Amino acid sequence: MFQHDNEATSGLVLKNLTLAYDNATIVEGLDLSIPQRTFTVLLGRNGSGKSTVLKACVGLLRPKSGTVLLDDRPLSQFGARERARRIALLPQGPVAPEGLSVLDLVRQGRYPHRTLLARWSPLDDEACDEALELTRMADLRERPLENLSGGQRQRAWIAMALAQQTDILLLDEPTTFLDLAHQAEVMDLITTLVKHGKKTIVAVLHDINQAARHANHIVMFKAGKLVSQGAPNDVMRRETIRNVFDIDPEIIHDQKTNAKFILV
Amino acid sequence: MTPRYPAISLAALLVPALLLASLMLGDQHVDIAALLKGEATAEARIIVLDLRLPRALMALLAGMALGIAGTIAQAVMRNPLAEPGILGINAGAAFAGSIVIVGFTGLSVTVLPWAGFAGATMMAAAVFLLSWRKGTSSARIVLIGIGLGAFASAGTSVMIAFANISDVQRLMIWLAGSIYDANWDKIRLLLAWLIVPIALVCLFYRQIDLIRFGDDVAASLGQRVNLVRAGMILLCTAISGATVTVAGLIGFVGLIAPHLARRMVGPGHALLIPASALVGGLLLMAADLVGRTIIAPVQLPAGIVTALIGAPFLAYLLWGRRHVPA
Repeated sequence: MFQHDNEATSGLVLKNLTLAYDNATIVEGLDLSIPQRTFTVLLGRNGSGKSTVLKACVGLLRPKSGTVLLDDRPLSQFGARERARRIALLPQGPVAPEGLSVLDLVRQGRYPHRTLLARWSPLDDEACDEALELTRMADLRERPLENLSGGQRQRAWIAMALAQQTDILLLDEPTTFLDLAHQAEVMDLITTLVKHGKKTIVAVLHDINQAARHANHIVMFKAGKLVSQGAPNDVMRRETIRNVFDIDPEIIHDQKTNAKFILV
Repeated sequence: MTPRYPAISLAALLVPALLLASLMLGDQHVDIAALLKGEATAEARIIVLDLRLPRALMALLAGMALGIAGTIAQAVMRNPLAEPGILGINAGAAFAGSIVIVGFTGLSVTVLPWAGFAGATMMAAAVFLLSWRKGTSSARIVLIGIGLGAFASAGTSVMIAFANISDVQRLMIWLAGSIYDANWDKIRLLLAWLIVPIALVCLFYRQIDLIRFGDDVAASLGQRVNLVRAGMILLCTAISGATVTVAGLIGFVGLIAPHLARRMVGPGHALLIPASALVGGLLLMAADLVGRTIIAPVQLPAGIVTALIGAPFLAYLLWGRRHVPA
């Protein structure tokens, strides 16, 4: 089970973070420690700042104030490639150039591991093979991305992020636009990666029940502020969800899985 | 052994064939075999060695440069319909040329290419600077490039309206893009200009591979996107600007060559860059040969021939992409 003492051992830590696009402040004064080797889900309504937080975690957005720390060192002190060897982000709805195969895409994941003149190495091959195996895309490696189903394409992108071989993986809405079976596949993959791959995974999800079922840690945002965080069963409270999502749900405690679900 | 990429291997074989045809065909048919045996007349030697050979090589070189510049533009702008002209290079060169011709009558024609280069570079710089807002975005560059390009074209039209007819004609011929006055000096000049930027493009092909994925993906993989984009635009400008300087404005090669090359070798830039160069070189060499033989003795500028081929090709591209969501 999830252990809270992991929080103390650094990893990704956000300190008094304020994020803004031009003059519009999106996130204000956020303090958050991402527990290591667990699956953290960020929840909140559209525009509550979840994706913005992920962007700041890989330096895509420079904080207006505050810091992102990676193992106690400010992220801004990391070189771009050095950072990309530690944290991978799969943005929401990424678009690949036309005509690429699955393998072409996955091989891009090796970018931060290669220097200008370095040749493609057996290590690179290994990383790609492993990523393809984990995502069960090995048989489809030669297929053009255009010919894949939505779920397969999403797995191909996750494989690219895995080939990056980072210990921290951030996923922005990895299940949006997927049918239920494909969503379940992605969730199982995440669970496997955390359990057996010892990865720290942070995902933005919209499905509260999906989060409750699979996450080890849930963080709820409302209008750029952290409202509640903790183990799923601790944050899945009627008042909290009413406050964060502006809905009035029924909370159901499922004895079999010991998970809480909401009925809207 | 069958080659892995048959189409591009065939294209590579076409280069010497087309070169040979360019040397033989024309007003005067020249027997190359006799020339090689040293049995040709002095006149035939001049025609081949001082006129046709530099001209064919110039077309090859300029076409290669345009193919590479187009490949970079399409990758960096993340737009299959992009070409170096989007950076305002052509419009800037035309505007500067028109200023020289109208504003400084009496100035030698040899200034024209240099004015063109200055105009091209300044336009590309203006497009880049105006689209900078804590970093650049491809969409902004395309929009501002189109806007400034239209502005410069309007300026050119105004200048032309005030020029005298013979100056305008001279300007138009240069604008149409022609390699009729190629000589060895120009080839050396172009080669000297191109060699460093093209070498850099080849060296950084992986950066070009990655930047196509969009800023977020590229940056999260550790690419310094703004730096790479600025660098690639600089290289693209240097390559196409140098080509404009010696060969005038030759449209569509930069658009078409990367597309044809992509069909031959796929989307990876390690192969796409040389393949685009090869296809671009072939296209322009063929266009020039057609331009000077099809209605001989009248010569059609190569730029007009490429436009005649290019416009329908553009329509074909748009037709083929009509189901691709924007």
